[in-house]
Amino acid sequence: MKKLLAPLVGDASPVTVIGLCKNAGKTTAMRRLMAELEEECLGLTSVGRDGEGTDLVTGTEKPDLYIKAGDLFATARGMLPLCDVTVEVARLTDVMTPLGEVGVFRALSDGYIQLAGPSAAGQLPPLCEVFASLGADRVLIDGAAGRKSLAGAGIEGAALLCTGASLDRDMDLVVAETAHTCALFASRRPEHPALCAALDACASRFALFTPEGAPLELPLDEAGAPRWNKLPRRRCVLWAAGGITDPLLKTLARRGAPLTLVAADATHVLAGRAAWDLFLRSGGALAVRRELTIAAVAANPWSAYGWHFDPDQFVSALRRVLDLPVVNVKEE
Amino acid sequence: MELTHELREHSGLQWVLDRLVPLSPFGRAAARAPRWYGPGEEAALADELDNLALSLSLWDAKQLPEPEEQPCCCDAPKAVRPKEPPLCGVTRCLPLFHDIRGSFDRDPGNPFDLVELFEIKHFLVTLEQVQQAYAALPPFAGIAFPPMDAALALVDPDGRRLPAFSVLSSYHPGLGPLREQKARLEKTIRAASEAEKPALLEQRRELAVREDQLELLVRRDLTCKLMEYKADFLANMDALGRLDLIFAKTKLARRYGCRRPVFSRDGSITLRGLRHPQVAEDLLARGEAFTPLDLELNKGCTVITGANMGGKTVSLRSVVLSLLLFQCGFFVFAEEARLPLFHHVSLILADSGPGAGGLSSFGKEVHLLDRLLQHTRGSFFFVALDEFARGTNPQEGAALARALVRHLGTLDCVALMTTHYDGVSDVATAHYQVAGLVREIDGDEHDDPRRRIARRMDYRLLPAPPGAPCPRDALRVCRLLKLDPELMELFQADL
Repeated sequence: MKKLLAPLVGDASPVTVIGLCKNAGKTTAMRRLMAELEEECLGLTSVGRDGEGTDLVTGTEKPDLYIKAGDLFATARGMLPLCDVTVEVARLTDVMTPLGEVGVFRALSDGYIQLAGPSAAGQLPPLCEVFASLGADRVLIDGAAGRKSLAGAGIEGAALLCTGASLDRDMDLVVAETAHTCALFASRRPEHPALCAALDACASRFALFTPEGAPLELPLDEAGAPRWNKLPRRRCVLWAAGGITDPLLKTLARRGAPLTLVAADATHVLAGRAAWDLFLRSGGALAVRRELTIAAVAANPWSAYGWHFDPDQFVSALRRVLDLPVVNVKEE
Repeated sequence: MELTHELREHSGLQWVLDRLVPLSPFGRAAARAPRWYGPGEEAALADELDNLALSLSLWDAKQLPEPEEQPCCCDAPKAVRPKEPPLCGVTRCLPLFHDIRGSFDRDPGNPFDLVELFEIKHFLVTLEQVQQAYAALPPFAGIAFPPMDAALALVDPDGRRLPAFSVLSSYHPGLGPLREQKARLEKTIRAASEAEKPALLEQRRELAVREDQLELLVRRDLTCKLMEYKADFLANMDALGRLDLIFAKTKLARRYGCRRPVFSRDGSITLRGLRHPQVAEDLLARGEAFTPLDLELNKGCTVITGANMGGKTVSLRSVVLSLLLFQCGFFVFAEEARLPLFHHVSLILADSGPGAGGLSSFGKEVHLLDRLLQHTRGSFFFVALDEFARGTNPQEGAALARALVRHLGTLDCVALMTTHYDGVSDVATAHYQVAGLVREIDGDEHDDPRRRIARRMDYRLLPAPPGAPCPRDALRVCRLLKLDPELMELFQADL
């Protein structure tokens, strides 16, 4: 098999495989990466399974991963009966899921496993440490699918973004959505060191700064919510903890004054493309407190719903608009 | 005796229990429902207090570093060092335990899953370390760890004590060959082409199913064998819980300077330097200090009188807390304590919240008292009453309070009652009075009223002759609390 993804992710760990939608080819990409990294001892887990409980329990929809002897994996103890590798229980974490605590297991043989790891992004870094202490060379995370749950990628390391025909029948729209997500992930920290320091210290929901990092007073209404129409007219920097939604972007765009919005990281932008474009057109810009990296985009021209794109056409359309490497994971 | 939620909250016992920090799930369970030692269990209670004293001396040994000894090595690797602080070997293991009692609550035919077997092995390996460290300590009374070597050999047959569990091939003669066959097949699958794979994977699936069946047999067998030791497992967990609770009580006693009480054989209560830790901490936060109390209570009813805000209720709560702590096997918050064991300890507060079931505060008080008198018939009990019968008209209230003091004097009990009624102390066994607003201070009119009162108040309890009149301090207290001047004028004119 040609090494397609391994050179793109380099030494990054953890590598999180995220999908723009269900059936975007996440599992295919994950399997390919595992096959290409067959020399390494891998630590495997997943994030965010909300709403997929039934599929998980019956094991009908979620495809299995076939791993090699020596690999480690973290999954809820309730998933163990669905795994057919010979298992050694290596550690029990205090992460609870609806399917029981997450345990860390070592595969003593090759075989199939089912992953149901922690659902909160904050629980992943400690798990990565456990993997490392047990001898894993690299951690692979099966991230969640869907625009609003890219949160699995909100940790250090690199992400592999899977996009595909399952998102929409219209190829141009799929390409545009992919470009939008990549653009968000390309957001960088502000350049001014004083501003960076001020942002790193921010603990409130919103805060206002000058581009040089000097704090500005944020006008508030009686209920304590910011009065967006009273923001200064010159360019300023707005810190927003938590999710950045359509209404917030539309309100900021309506002001018509330039503004740099700072989010915790790119996964916190939950707003759709339309609101985002409106914000950019009105002079808005995005910066992040923590930079994230997409190592490559994996394209899946086949959808689960009956329509397919022409593979070459799809890949070249993506390559035209993206600065990132684009690969077709089905390619031999 | 049942330690009701009300009694725990009103006396401050819950406050104390909340400050216990057991290290293991077994200790936390033990701390939630501390054992109550009643009359006749003096020996068991003495054992518990001996254990506490022993633990305290071992703990203090840690605080006296011998020359060239390093400080506590709780995070250091577990190399056995001769000069290691004595309790460290046990205390560093306690937080490692998981609560696995639920796993043993099962039908032996229902096999443990792999994670449960892992947890059992983890428990037994950690327990072995505790047992070794415990064996080096002077023995604690009544705490023994039944040996579990046989059970440990079941889950760790090669004796390597590794922190991992798997169904080893040595558990079943069929497992080894089957796994070798499967491993060969898996090697073939790795090298196979996509076209060959499905057939090979199907073969592998069949082998995996057979392996799973054999593993199930092994787990069934292990479960049956391990369940034979269920009683020993539970006994060990119980001993861990008790030891952990002793350490937690020790830390509490060290932190608050608690003292060991002695048994009183004649039913009387002697407390010197008594304090209430919860009130003391509140005061400390406001920059004030708790005035320690001295009390001696004999059988019958003792009455406390004194100015409003003079700490009468706090003294009731302090006495009740000491009794409850003593009978739960704790050291107490006093310099010196001589206490008997009661069948029943209760506290009836005047403002114990809204009366339930359509009872007024007076109605509730009477109801509680009546229930107490019926419950405690024929037993030796303690009751503390806060301003009994204050909710009715003063003439009848005073008569009722007097009658109660007389009645309690005829029962096998020690009672303590606060009151503002005159004439109640005449019929009491003994009478204490809060020293009261004794200090004259000027020039702090703009200060916090609570502080102004505290500055003038002498909170000590002084023995007073029976029949000494109740102090008339309501006017001064109102003035210090800055009651509306117009109202004060009317009040003063009416006196």
